[in-house]
Amino acid sequence: MTPMLPRQRSLSANTLGWIWVSPWLIGFIVFLAVPTAMSLYYSLCDYPLLEPPLFVGLSNYRRMFDDPVFWIVLRNTAIYAATSIPLGTAAALIIAALLNNKVRGVGFFRAAVFLPTVVPLAASAMIWLWILNGELGLLNAIINPILKPFGLHGPAWIGFRGTGDKAWAMPALVLMSLWGVGQSVVIYLAALQDVPESLHEAASIDGVGPIRRFYHITLPLISPVILFNVIVAIIGSSQVFGAPYIMTQGGPDRATYFYSMYMFDKAFTYGQMGYASAMAWVQLVIVLVLTALTFIVSRKLVFYRSA
Amino acid sequence: MDHITSSRLADLTRRGVLGSLTAAGVGFAFFGPRGAKDNRDGRLVLDYWEKWTGQEGAAMQGIVDRFNQSQSKLFVRYFTISEIDKKGAIAIAGGAPPDLIGLYAYNIPGYAESNAILPLNDLARSAGIRQENYALAVRELVEHQGKQWGVANTCGSVGLYYNKAIFRERGLDPERPPRTIAELDEMARALTITGPDGRLSRVGFVHTEPGWWSWDWGHFFGGSLYDLDTDSATATAAANIAAFDWVQSYGKNYGVDKLLGLQSGLGNYSSAEQGFLSGRVAMVAQGPWLANIIKRFTPDLDYGAAPMPVIDSLYDPTQPVALIESDVLVIPRGARNPEASMEFIAFTQRRENVEELSRIHCKASTLATSTPEFFATHPNRCVAMHDQLAKSPRAFTSPRTRVWLEYKDEMESGFQKLWRLEEPAKAVLQRVQDRAQLLLADAARQRNARAALRAKV
Repeated sequence: MTPMLPRQRSLSANTLGWIWVSPWLIGFIVFLAVPTAMSLYYSLCDYPLLEPPLFVGLSNYRRMFDDPVFWIVLRNTAIYAATSIPLGTAAALIIAALLNNKVRGVGFFRAAVFLPTVVPLAASAMIWLWILNGELGLLNAIINPILKPFGLHGPAWIGFRGTGDKAWAMPALVLMSLWGVGQSVVIYLAALQDVPESLHEAASIDGVGPIRRFYHITLPLISPVILFNVIVAIIGSSQVFGAPYIMTQGGPDRATYFYSMYMFDKAFTYGQMGYASAMAWVQLVIVLVLTALTFIVSRKLVFYRSA
Repeated sequence: MDHITSSRLADLTRRGVLGSLTAAGVGFAFFGPRGAKDNRDGRLVLDYWEKWTGQEGAAMQGIVDRFNQSQSKLFVRYFTISEIDKKGAIAIAGGAPPDLIGLYAYNIPGYAESNAILPLNDLARSAGIRQENYALAVRELVEHQGKQWGVANTCGSVGLYYNKAIFRERGLDPERPPRTIAELDEMARALTITGPDGRLSRVGFVHTEPGWWSWDWGHFFGGSLYDLDTDSATATAAANIAAFDWVQSYGKNYGVDKLLGLQSGLGNYSSAEQGFLSGRVAMVAQGPWLANIIKRFTPDLDYGAAPMPVIDSLYDPTQPVALIESDVLVIPRGARNPEASMEFIAFTQRRENVEELSRIHCKASTLATSTPEFFATHPNRCVAMHDQLAKSPRAFTSPRTRVWLEYKDEMESGFQKLWRLEEPAKAVLQRVQDRAQLLLADAARQRNARAALRAKV
């Protein structure tokens, strides 16, 4: 017991607790709670950023329904999510399963798969602009010899300043999204290594082949991790911004113009902060609904070992 | 161990906590981030945000340094800020603006209508800056609703750059660039080369290279996109429809896929792989700064420049039609000492500084007259032509409305559709017109609501 000095009183455990959490609490209030509440208010205002907000009720939300660009970016984002999430999940799972094998140099392969995720986005965007270049790009250099006998030529995927082929710009970005699959691979790899070997051994003794073992043993056991990754991917793809902003600026003809890009333009390029705030709230609702739906659908598909 | 830790935690006293917080506060006050509102050797410090980097930034830094040496009252700090129009708006809205901002001229209507920048009529006059000293189109660029809101410090006028070597190679006179749209089409055809595989290896002219001003083709047919007097969009004017029908003729004549194929092999603008420098596009619409890019990547390129061709009925060699763009200096709302800011602006507007900046930026001068030395030492051999464009009574600017950036994006999207022959030009322009009119009406409604509120207050 430390002797208490006169006129010094120990703080209660409750006060101490508040002191220790105060850095996070202050940050949460100042940088999240207050801006979130303010954005809700601004979504009900005409707020051109350079002038004070003027309350207009639900006008911004109503305008959204009549705004053709809003529907274009919503559709583009939905298409991107609907294609990149399944493709990314499948690719990550397959790569993780391959990297889970005990082969020589597996550490190198694991590092190689993860490496692209640490390359800065601007750098990888420039690399991909050249890979996807219609005339000089690596991708067309690979596929052109295959297409040539049929009299075909690889498309102008993406050109500088959004000058590529409108039909192939979105597939090009989806393809590029696989570049960052390494992060999911690492998570899947950890989950795969957590699958008890004894289950596979028992199934093998009963004559079950590797594909059926993967489907009936591995997949159910890692299903909570798949669910986690899918939800993270839904949130991420609904906010896709960086790569198209650098590579295509939304072009050609808004073929790669996504929800977050339009929201950003509305707020900072066109100076319509109220409208952009309304878009942010609609985005939040969409993500919440999609996440809730995923949870509902996953009830019968996800297997929790503790249960 | 746990017992010891919890015992130590319990010993944390109120005095200790208060002491720690006080120490943190004192430390922050002494060593925390400094505001911009400080003095330097007794001189008032002015913060100047500008968009330029590299050679262009160094040129302005040189002028800033000379200003700082020329007097002992003020000290200007030059900061390079990317996306300056966005960050400038945020700083002004947040009540912490710099003393000066270098914006683009097309930002002026939006900033002016929001009172985010100060009107400069009186300040400029008292500093000896007279609008009549500037080229006519430059004056228009810094004005909005009858007031002057900025001072232009560079002037870019857009002309037609052409590759003389390719002209020679194809039997055309390198000293006789096209003057009319018909001549442009004819020469473009003569300069175009199709490879043995049927793909274009070179094109004489294509509207999308580099494609920075997809909205302005109507002006070369006598059209425009906006009527300032009635605050209305004029995208469907007959001259605009004719201009964009002409744009579509390139897709029809050469094949959209072939043009796309050629363009997809071109590199970034600031590289030797860009269309004009690589010799794959023989003529391009460009500003005088192209000479700097040529000098850097392909110094041996033999180029010439001329006013943009127009339809036959508009052709007048004394009054060329040209787009004028400008960088402008403004004083934001909330600037601490507008008179001091204006003193610096006035220094930048001295003839020797204007000409030096224009020379290094490889642009025409903003002033109504230029010295013979300016032309003699300018890095662009065609600067006299650009000077003529800037002073032409038929020089035009981007529409002076606050919704221009959104209107321009609508035009860009529409252009992509019509250039790719997805829809007739008339239908596309009608859609752009409807959308732009909605944007303008929306802006007017908001302007009126605010005016009514101000009147009420």
